[in-house]
Amino acid sequence: MITIRQLANQFGLSRSTLLYYDRIGLLRPDYRTAAGYRLYAASDRHRLEQICRFRSAGLALARIEQLLERPQPSQSALTAALHGRLSALNREIAALRRQQQVVVDLLKKTGSTRRTRLMDKPRWVALLRAAGMDDAEMRRWHVEFERQSPEAHQDFLESLGLPAAEIGQIRRGEDRPPHRVRRRPSN
Amino acid sequence: MNQLTKDQFVSVLEAAGINTAQREKLHEAFERLQPEGHQQFLAWLGLPAETIAKIRTLSRR
Repeated sequence: MITIRQLANQFGLSRSTLLYYDRIGLLRPDYRTAAGYRLYAASDRHRLEQICRFRSAGLALARIEQLLERPQPSQSALTAALHGRLSALNREIAALRRQQQVVVDLLKKTGSTRRTRLMDKPRWVALLRAAGMDDAEMRRWHVEFERQSPEAHQDFLESLGLPAAEIGQIRRGEDRPPHRVRRRPSN
Repeated sequence: MNQLTKDQFVSVLEAAGINTAQREKLHEAFERLQPEGHQQFLAWLGLPAETIAKIRTLSRR
């Protein structure tokens, strides 16, 4: 059994965080002394480990509690929670990109611009062709990108300013044959 | 934004069958057609400024 202070120190958390977790029922100490001191058992420590792991993935406390309700979080519930979080992160990234665009536009108005998003899809495709890459190789590249680093793949495609639907198609390997791009009117 | 290291990117290219010679050609084309894009891309991969400068100089030969 260890005290709240000891447990907090072990996890680099503040005492008040653990008090809060107790208040909302997320992490109740195994034992309270007659004087009201909280004492935590090894099982509490294990639970806190899981809580911290899910927190560092950005899951909400309420969601974590749901996951820990069951004796053993089911694989599908866990997968669903993580997928939900991934989507939320993607939305946040997209929102940040929109902000980035607004900032860039504002800077353009002030005439002191450093250009961002220099590369778009037509430019990449032209570049890869100039380097001798054919459609089959570009396809394989996306397949491998998706297999090895799916999030970075998403991020890369977003950085080219592609619409979400097209990104989804490319990531699922369903994009229209192959790298047909319409030049945007101006750039 | 920078979740991908250079090594990961190279491993993706290699798995897709793109060999060293083609990668060199890619750098050359990048430098010739989109010099600023080349700079930005290398920075995106998290390479230090010195390395970026070296790669770009080599790509211009």
